[in-house]
Amino acid sequence: MDYEALDFYEVDSLLSDEERMVRDMVRDWVDEEVIPNIENACREGIFPDEWRVALGEMGVLGAPLKGYDCPGLSYTAYGVICRELERGDSGLRSFASVQGSLAMYPIWDFGSEEQKMHYLPKMASGEWIGCFGLTEPDYGSNPGDMITKAEEMEDHYILNGAKMWITNGTMADLAVVWAKLDGVIRGFIVEKNDPGFSAPEMKGKHSLKASVTSELVFQDCKIPKDRILPGVKGLRGPFSCLNNARFGISWGAIGAAQACFYSAKDYALSRIQFDHPIASYQLVQNKLSWMLREITKAQLLAYHLGQKKDDGKWIPEHISLAKMNNVDIALEIARVARDIHGANGILDEYPVMRHMANLESVKTYEGTHDIHNLILGRHITGIQSFTREI
Amino acid sequence: MRFTIIAEMNGDLLHPTTYQLIGAISEIGSESIVICPNGKGSSEASKIKGVEKIISVNGDCFDLFDGSAWASAINSVCEGTIVASASPNGREIGSIIAAKRKIPIIQDVTAISSGITVTRPIYSGKATETLKINGDSVITLRPNAFESAEVGNDAPISIVDQTSDVRVAVIEAINKASERLDVTEADIIISGGRGMGSIDNFSHLESMADTLGAAVGASRAVVDEWGMPHRMQVGQTGKTVSPSLYIAVGISGAIQHLAGMRSSKYIVAINKDPDAPIFTVADYGIVASWEEALPILKSELMKLS
Amino acid sequence: MNIAVLLKQVPDTTAKITISNGKVDENSVSKWSMSPYDEYALESGLKMKEATGGNLIAITCGPERTKKMLTDAAAVGADTLIHISEDKVLDSTQVQNLLATVINNNEIEVVLCGKQAADTNAGSTGPGVAEILDAACVTMVSEVSFSENSFISVRPSNTGTEKVSTSGISVFTFDKGLSELRRPNVRGIMMAKKKVIETIKPEELGLGEDSDRIILQTQDSPAEKEPGQIFEGVGEIPTIVSKLRNEANVI
Repeated sequence: MDYEALDFYEVDSLLSDEERMVRDMVRDWVDEEVIPNIENACREGIFPDEWRVALGEMGVLGAPLKGYDCPGLSYTAYGVICRELERGDSGLRSFASVQGSLAMYPIWDFGSEEQKMHYLPKMASGEWIGCFGLTEPDYGSNPGDMITKAEEMEDHYILNGAKMWITNGTMADLAVVWAKLDGVIRGFIVEKNDPGFSAPEMKGKHSLKASVTSELVFQDCKIPKDRILPGVKGLRGPFSCLNNARFGISWGAIGAAQACFYSAKDYALSRIQFDHPIASYQLVQNKLSWMLREITKAQLLAYHLGQKKDDGKWIPEHISLAKMNNVDIALEIARVARDIHGANGILDEYPVMRHMANLESVKTYEGTHDIHNLILGRHITGIQSFTREI
Repeated sequence: MRFTIIAEMNGDLLHPTTYQLIGAISEIGSESIVICPNGKGSSEASKIKGVEKIISVNGDCFDLFDGSAWASAINSVCEGTIVASASPNGREIGSIIAAKRKIPIIQDVTAISSGITVTRPIYSGKATETLKINGDSVITLRPNAFESAEVGNDAPISIVDQTSDVRVAVIEAINKASERLDVTEADIIISGGRGMGSIDNFSHLESMADTLGAAVGASRAVVDEWGMPHRMQVGQTGKTVSPSLYIAVGISGAIQHLAGMRSSKYIVAINKDPDAPIFTVADYGIVASWEEALPILKSELMKLS
Repeated sequence: MNIAVLLKQVPDTTAKITISNGKVDENSVSKWSMSPYDEYALESGLKMKEATGGNLIAITCGPERTKKMLTDAAAVGADTLIHISEDKVLDSTQVQNLLATVINNNEIEVVLCGKQAADTNAGSTGPGVAEILDAACVTMVSEVSFSENSFISVRPSNTGTEKVSTSGISVFTFDKGLSELRRPNVRGIMMAKKKVIETIKPEELGLGEDSDRIILQTQDSPAEKEPGQIFEGVGEIPTIVSKLRNEANVI
């Protein structure tokens, strides 16, 4: 069966021709190269290098960035790319999110002209992989209290500390690392061969198995002076990266949900129990109808957010709502799809349990579901409730 | 209304399709002029009922296949509605003759009635269309879609010598053992499952596949347990295929396998177990062991070619 | 060298075909695509263009929706896009005349197209156009190259394949080729979007309307298959084989 993306309200008809062409390009690639190989990649716990090469060749890395050999697409196109990649696997979309929104974007927005010229073209082509070091073992939702620090020496900086849950870490050529310099959060570019830097891989994940997750360890790590990002100070730096990545996730989750819906519908129509396809039973139809309803709402949310992002009329809370909602429904859709597949749903012959396990991570990373609730709570009431100090 | 048939050849003999072309035109009440390129098969053709006369067109232009040269030579003796086989060569010659005569061509016709009205499949058989043709045209008929004409005639044979320019030169013939097709591109697939007993028994499927020009596929169990190449696997995690004919041998038909092949146009299943789920999707099911069924199936198929 | 590639847009081979009121409902086709064999012709044309420094002209004939396919061709490297704008279904002679006229107007040395389009699977266009152009024609080729003023192509033969040469203007129809089809990329898509599609009306080519020689009477769904039949033992195998041959037409 060839993939038919659920698009009940024909939201994709609102896309520009260019956005639709990009969609078809990525969708075809995912069909031909990702889906036949994803289970193997998960089993081996690797991110296939051919995928890095192909993403670079297609020219989708750093999609919405302009200049420096970057694609220069709309944010909506970036969303569409994330959706199509995540229809394949959340780990694949994570790779692209981290490369584009978390590693390329801060260099593009806050880097010096020399840094942009040096890094961005090779990152857009996929030749260099980037990662993003913000989260620490003891500071996840609360990055402001991070421990990693930088000291300014005569002709270099010294970094000390550790980051955790870093996508692409071990395979990265460079890391954008957030550390405190004289108590103020600053961004630094650390290259893989810098002395005192290592990036051991974290093993044993039950989720995002085709994605590399690492620790970043800095032990008197020495980097040249020109590696500080001059354009930003404080949490605004990492948060602006996260806004873009979260935007991509709000689209990406729809891709995973569409894949689960598609598999569940196909399975329900072909699985015969009590002499009839299970799709003919009301309980199953109720599940499919609910899936269609939630996917359709998520699509409208993502599309409208894309328009706001492209028009520059957005606030971070808009993105929080979309990330929180769309991942939440995608995860629930994956669970229900697994249920419709019965015992077969636990096999790797069907994509549903892989998506389900992946989405558990997606729910937690880039601002947990609950943190996004608190962001919206603060927006509604004007009262922050992250800490006890009110 | 006059009909000219271009005989389809199989080496020096008439291809069985030629009988069908003549049969189809007889069926709508007309006799045909039959053109035999390079004279081959002309005396055989003169004995077929429904043939008015044979024109044997001779010339060196028939020494190798150049559609344009063949069409030029044949065109000179055509009249009325021109009928050819929807084989690759028939289609090409027909197209060129149609262009020469500035008349339309309808290819791959599966039914014809007087008037004339033709039916052809469109969208790979997902629909059919019926067309009324005004005036002369070229039509090519699908092999095996029409009844063959019978023998019992003695039509006159005339011989015409023709020359025409050959613009295609063969510079190198590359002989190769026919490679077995990949399951994703084959029009016929013969797949084996655990019921084949062991990987060695796949040789029986392979020899049958060679008879049919088919690809050999396998179920997941066989790929996982016996180490058949993954590219042969048909099913949920293997290839999704939709050939014209899918023959499942010793495959029980788990839902994961059915997901990969149920859109095949025709499905034949051979399985010992009458309750095997594969029979729920089969057009023709044979409840028997493969050891019994394959030799008979193979000999029946051999009779056709 | 000017290389023409003739392209046809067809319902994607995976798309459902719906019939309503005795006609295929084109509006219900979920996806229109470049006909698969045409993709191989385009790929070969792009290779030839790269090898000879030529100009690739993609030509199609059909309604407004077919322009999207031309833009797709530009995204992988077609230089010039020509759309013969025609909403009606034309017969084979009419289509071939339009294409041949455009080819003649563009000083083209080689014409590539698919061996047949996935809608009617006819295969008339390539040979027919060749005849009108008075060009050499080789059908069902898997590859074509140009050297020392002649085209070398590979086509099937009774014993395998054969290399054949043609000179002067030549038409090649493609079977599935050996090479992998190239994928577009974002840069190609951005450039394609800016590319102007030259639209020509059949009247502008000086081709008068013929009277309708082919009249569509009806389009139908294929006959329903009989329900599956299960036979105990091997006795019915000859019947099954004969049905597959004579009724199903699959062997």
